[in-house]
Amino acid sequence: MSRVKISEYRAKKIILGDAYKGISVHVDAKIKLPKKGKWVAKVDQGVKKRMKQGLVAVDISPQAAMRAFAKWKKKGFSQFLLEPLVKHAPEEEQYLSLERVREGIRVLHAREGGIDIESNPEVVQKYLIRNEEDIATIAKSSKLPEKFLRELIAKFDEDFFAFLELNPLIVRGNEAKPLDAAALVDSAGAFFTRAWTDSDIVKGAAKHPSEGVIEALAATTPASLKLNVLNTNGSLFFLLSGGGGSIVIADEAQLEGAGKRIGNYGEYSGGPTRQETYLYAKEIIKLLLASRPPAGGKKALVIAGGVANFTDVKKTFAGIVDALSESADALRVKGVKVFVRRGGPNEVAGLALMQEFLKREKLLGSIYGSDVVITKAVEDAITFVTR
Amino acid sequence: MTSIETIRKKPQSILVLGNHPAIMQSILDFDFACRKKEPSVIACITANRKSLKLFFGKQEMLVPCFSDVTRVPKELGPKIQWMLNVQSGRRAYESTVAFFDAFPKALGGHIFAENVPEQHATELIQRYGKEKFIAGPSGVGLLVPGSLKLGAIGGTDIAQIEASKLATKGSIAVVSTSGGMTNELIRAVALAGKRVSFSLCIGGDRFPVTSLTDVLLLAENDPKTSAILYFGELGGVDEYEIVELLRAKKLTKLVLAYIAGVIDEAFGEHMQFGHAKALVAHKDESARAKRGALRAAGASAPDTFPEFLAELSKLPSTEIRDRVIPMSEFENRQKSILSTRQIVDLDDVPVFVKGKKLVSRGENAFVRKALEALLGREIKSEITIAFAEAVFELLIDHGGNVSGAVNTMITARAGKDLVSSLAAGLLTIGPRFGGAVNDAAATWTLGVQSKQDARSFVQERTKGGKLLSGIGHRKYRVGIPDPRVEAIAQFAALLKKRPHYDFARAVEKVTTGKNGSLILNVDGAMAALFLDILVEAEGYTETELQELIDAEFFNALFVIPRSVGFIAHFIEQKKNDEGLFRLPDELLYVRKSKKS
Repeated sequence: MSRVKISEYRAKKIILGDAYKGISVHVDAKIKLPKKGKWVAKVDQGVKKRMKQGLVAVDISPQAAMRAFAKWKKKGFSQFLLEPLVKHAPEEEQYLSLERVREGIRVLHAREGGIDIESNPEVVQKYLIRNEEDIATIAKSSKLPEKFLRELIAKFDEDFFAFLELNPLIVRGNEAKPLDAAALVDSAGAFFTRAWTDSDIVKGAAKHPSEGVIEALAATTPASLKLNVLNTNGSLFFLLSGGGGSIVIADEAQLEGAGKRIGNYGEYSGGPTRQETYLYAKEIIKLLLASRPPAGGKKALVIAGGVANFTDVKKTFAGIVDALSESADALRVKGVKVFVRRGGPNEVAGLALMQEFLKREKLLGSIYGSDVVITKAVEDAITFVTR
Repeated sequence: MTSIETIRKKPQSILVLGNHPAIMQSILDFDFACRKKEPSVIACITANRKSLKLFFGKQEMLVPCFSDVTRVPKELGPKIQWMLNVQSGRRAYESTVAFFDAFPKALGGHIFAENVPEQHATELIQRYGKEKFIAGPSGVGLLVPGSLKLGAIGGTDIAQIEASKLATKGSIAVVSTSGGMTNELIRAVALAGKRVSFSLCIGGDRFPVTSLTDVLLLAENDPKTSAILYFGELGGVDEYEIVELLRAKKLTKLVLAYIAGVIDEAFGEHMQFGHAKALVAHKDESARAKRGALRAAGASAPDTFPEFLAELSKLPSTEIRDRVIPMSEFENRQKSILSTRQIVDLDDVPVFVKGKKLVSRGENAFVRKALEALLGREIKSEITIAFAEAVFELLIDHGGNVSGAVNTMITARAGKDLVSSLAAGLLTIGPRFGGAVNDAAATWTLGVQSKQDARSFVQERTKGGKLLSGIGHRKYRVGIPDPRVEAIAQFAALLKKRPHYDFARAVEKVTTGKNGSLILNVDGAMAALFLDILVEAEGYTETELQELIDAEFFNALFVIPRSVGFIAHFIEQKKNDEGLFRLPDELLYVRKSKKS
């Protein structure tokens, strides 16, 4: 369903097996580190361009590595990697990446690798693996060790990798050693492989607590629930439904020049239950109530979406009404208005339920069904908050 | 790969993998709205049940269910053209392969699941990408108005099918990766006074089996399609496929596109939007760049959604003749809660006696042996045998509504065995259901022995509103006689004396004078006549009759044949196997309990 980053440690462990001697270090975990030797220390959180950001330290003692970890911890990082140094000449560095594409696996290879590969695209050779036989051909023309390539591709396939970049890759005779690795796996493969688990998936930057709540909720339902907090002091809060429809509605806000006023973006779809919709709506109402728009500006809630195929409007609106009724007084006191546009199964009953509630609670901005353009509610809301 | 025109030319049929009643019902509603003679859903692959109850118009129908594609009966095989796969992402791949292995001639299908691994999707592309027409993985399916609805596409309630005019063939193809926006555009076409030629939701996954290029070429080659309406999002490079086709003149029809996602420009960091594809990686995957490229290639790609709709209304359209959808056929449909077969034909009651003579129905050794076993003596008269046989025949079943049959069916659906289900039915027999034959026999015996006239007997016996066993029926009344009573009453003509029967009829005369429904019922009639036959044909004395009554013999006359009926209902339930029975909420009145 989506491609997610896994740690460099896990990726290399899968590719190299027991031959890999790297040590995964979590900031809070007590780990016995080696006493001597030359090492490479890195931040292992899927960060791009680590070297340029100073998040890699090469050819250092274990003690120096500890100091580097402490320094990175202050920058907010928590997951590190310690690897034995592989001494090599710069000209030994190659570039190799694999990506799953429609026709098979696309291989990019360059006999000159390193961090500047992107500025030398002309040296990169492109290959496509459609079947087993293609591997030998590619090994021959790329001069990559065939056994290494064959095993690498088998692992890539078996363990549901979507993308793998080994750069630099040191090739010596029949041996190939990746110094750095970046990997994306297909999250839908989690059920089918034991090679990696959820705990290997690299967590992104610190999230807004509400995003964490929705993420946890989404993990427990086949329906889709997504939330991004964009501006904690926004004036437009979105309770949108449908992946495509939600973008159309958010686009309208941007086109009307209200992009910076958007407090959150997200969507619910795929037929969530009344209870799931209640929990989702509750989180967004919480964000809306907590927001302090500049100069005491007005706030609006936009409940909008396209004409659903199978998500029941009445059922999901009942969940939203459940959440709204808990905060109806607070919303009214703050002068919040609610703007609605929605279509789909049980549209008439769902809209009637919502309209009756919003009128009674004096929260109604405007309400439309599928006979009115999808962007109408957000337009009304923008007029309301900017007037 | 098939063409859209082929789909329009003959009736289409679908095998559903997995169980999604709402989507299946919406397909049947679409079929009915299109005035198809037969529903397109012909069977369903799902475990733990053998049939699924749905509506075709107002009429209920049972869709046969099989646990595995290999168990679909051979005669259905050649009919199956489409797969609708609503199983989870974990099972989508293996079930799709199993489907096409079993039905290699099928035209294609739709895979509904959203979390199908990429590797499975690319494997499906290798296997079926060239020959089969497959919408998904993910998305809402394929729609050819008037002909085929394969998935949730176009909506799942009849009001949507009506509002979007899905029974009418049109000229605008609707294509999108977003399921919700596919439906939004389908509705927009109808609101603009135009109709859809076909619509396919490609789905938001990275590797749809039938690609955007494939779909655009289907539209290009479809003589009914004059323009293509496309909805896309930021991220991914699909729209460049349209650009290439336009440039190469492989696509010559009008393309009107809306590419969403300029909201991305309002924020520094790229957001993950609703779909996996919408993660922007390069500049040229932005909404604005893709709009620009489409325009440069000759497509129309407005900047705002309202402008897009304005352009849509300007598209050429053909003359429209909407098929009227009989909406009343979909209203107030109430699903029955049990389904069964007519065990015996209740309207076809046989003739037992003609011209004061028994109609010969052949020797019945079983009834003779059974009666001799029950009574403990040899049966002397053919009349006794014929009467018992008539009673057994008439009482095998009285439809699926009666308490005992209902209990048998519910127990069967709870997964219980034959003996348990039969016992559940039998244990229901009592004073209010089926167990009144013996009481009726006791009543008539008492009446005859008391030598009272019927009127005072009735007055005495019904004091305080008490009911008389053997009298009264819920359905039949004076003027609408119970055909079963009529049939066995024929036996009265074979007897010289019939004191019990005459008394029962006299009682009936009194009671029907009060209320037309208080007629002699089948329990009362058979009890009375059996008493008379035992006396006249078998020589029973008063004392011997009393012994039989005390031993509840007359109830056996109901229990024996009805056991056959219960077992028949049980077998029928096992054949249907609709899963565990649960009383729908609207059929249950729940009173709040008082709080202490």
